[in-house]
Amino acid sequence: MSIQVPAQWRSALPYLDERLPEDRTPQTRAGGSVQVNLPMELARQSIQQKEFWDIPAPVQEAYRSFRPTPLWRASRFEQAIGSRVPIWVKYEGENISGSHKLNTALAQAYYYHKAGVRELVTGTGAGQWGTALAAACSLFGMRCTIFMVGTSLERKPYRGVLMRLLGAEVHASPTTLTDVARQSGGQGNSLSLAIGEAVEYAARTSGAAFCIGSGENYSILHQSVIGLEAAEQLAEHEAEVDAVIGCVGAGSNFGGLALPFYTEAKASGGTMPRLVAAESSSTPKLTKGVYAYDKTDATGTSPLEAMYTIGSDYSIPDSHSAGLRYHGAAKLISALRHQGYVDAVAVDQVTALECGRVFTQTQTVLPAPESCHALAAAARLATSGAGDLRAERGILVCVSGHGYLDLGAYQQLLDGTLRDQAPSPAALLAAVSGLAPVDSPARQS
Amino acid sequence: MSVLKLDRGRVALAVKKVVIAESRLAISPDQVADDEPLNGASLRINSLGFVGMLIQLEEQLGVTLSDDLFVGRSFTTVADLVDVIQNHSEVSA
Repeated sequence: MSIQVPAQWRSALPYLDERLPEDRTPQTRAGGSVQVNLPMELARQSIQQKEFWDIPAPVQEAYRSFRPTPLWRASRFEQAIGSRVPIWVKYEGENISGSHKLNTALAQAYYYHKAGVRELVTGTGAGQWGTALAAACSLFGMRCTIFMVGTSLERKPYRGVLMRLLGAEVHASPTTLTDVARQSGGQGNSLSLAIGEAVEYAARTSGAAFCIGSGENYSILHQSVIGLEAAEQLAEHEAEVDAVIGCVGAGSNFGGLALPFYTEAKASGGTMPRLVAAESSSTPKLTKGVYAYDKTDATGTSPLEAMYTIGSDYSIPDSHSAGLRYHGAAKLISALRHQGYVDAVAVDQVTALECGRVFTQTQTVLPAPESCHALAAAARLATSGAGDLRAERGILVCVSGHGYLDLGAYQQLLDGTLRDQAPSPAALLAAVSGLAPVDSPARQS
Repeated sequence: MSVLKLDRGRVALAVKKVVIAESRLAISPDQVADDEPLNGASLRINSLGFVGMLIQLEEQLGVTLSDDLFVGRSFTTVADLVDVIQNHSEVSA
């Protein structure tokens, strides 16, 4: 492998056809002071139309312990599924967090530490983000508190062990520690509630700040190392792809893989591959959601962001892919979907894990259930096609994490007890009925 | 980068213009007193909008605002913000 770890992240913001719709901030009561909770550099990375951002030396050094991540042609997988085209895999599971989440956790911990924050607090679904943040906090000498979706922690107790081993304090959400959980009326167990608990806990803890692993422009920027490396690696192999695929919870691994290809095509005037987001059919925000202003967590104090959403109040059916169980897509991914640059495919979890089994047997790499959705979408584009989506020259797919702590899901697959829970169309409609469409005027206060 | 003490009048004018815009008011900067609360009867700045406002001020004044001046600190009046920007800005490279 001759490529180097990128020295800069690359932002897609300067190349959007239209600027992102502004967040709508909820009205707060008059009185009281104003506080800053986000490091300035992260704010700059979210807002400024700057293309290249230097990766700080301590973050680069940490990256070098697990990057560049491998890219290979999955030939035996191609044969097993009857693929018409080469399938190239970019694998992000070879670090202690087991996923791509460490790419942004390290950057965020660095910036918060530099800003004087002593403790980071977050919510996590599958536990990959929580583990990544625990590792990053350990590296930068910070305390870490994690609110993990309770049912997910119950299924994957070793996620909790790993986070605690890294020095984090781990709580199963909903807890009895926060008002937002107490007021949820037992409707909890969702990622937005876990995030809401973390927001509230951080706000009342001295020296602490809340941070989030996916969805914000800066986290997608940090993930651009995935696509930047992949483009170089494909060039080394003289390989060409016309479809780039990643799974989408909020969209950080998909954005990290796909947006450098978007940006390069926009900058050079070259051909852009199809950018294909693979989502869970039980959380179908990109295929069945609406483009509207919605909350990012359950506190009701977050800004309303323009996103494809199935409604932040929607009770998402249970699944093993906790990392995909988020009601909305990142505003950057949503805007690109709205502008026609992002295609989407919904995948059932049985189909996804079955594809994961084939991948495991042919590649001897165990993909996370979330990543299996991307592999299943890739298999569809490589064979029969998904609607009018087909790949003709080659596919690049991100396997965003490993599945060693998800073996319970694979056990159910082997036992034949794995099931899908399709969302109710009536419930989906009800959950988005009160949301303002993105093109609507802001409400005057 | 080096620390630069900026002209207070220039900083105050920039701050007042930005807080007026953020509060969606149609008033002139000289109608905003230095001790005007940032989140009061007239100006309505909240924490979520505040960071974006700081980025605008950086661009307008050509300075870099250091993280350790802001994260975890509270600001009550227009003058609080003017003081920090005037005394602790670094000239952008």
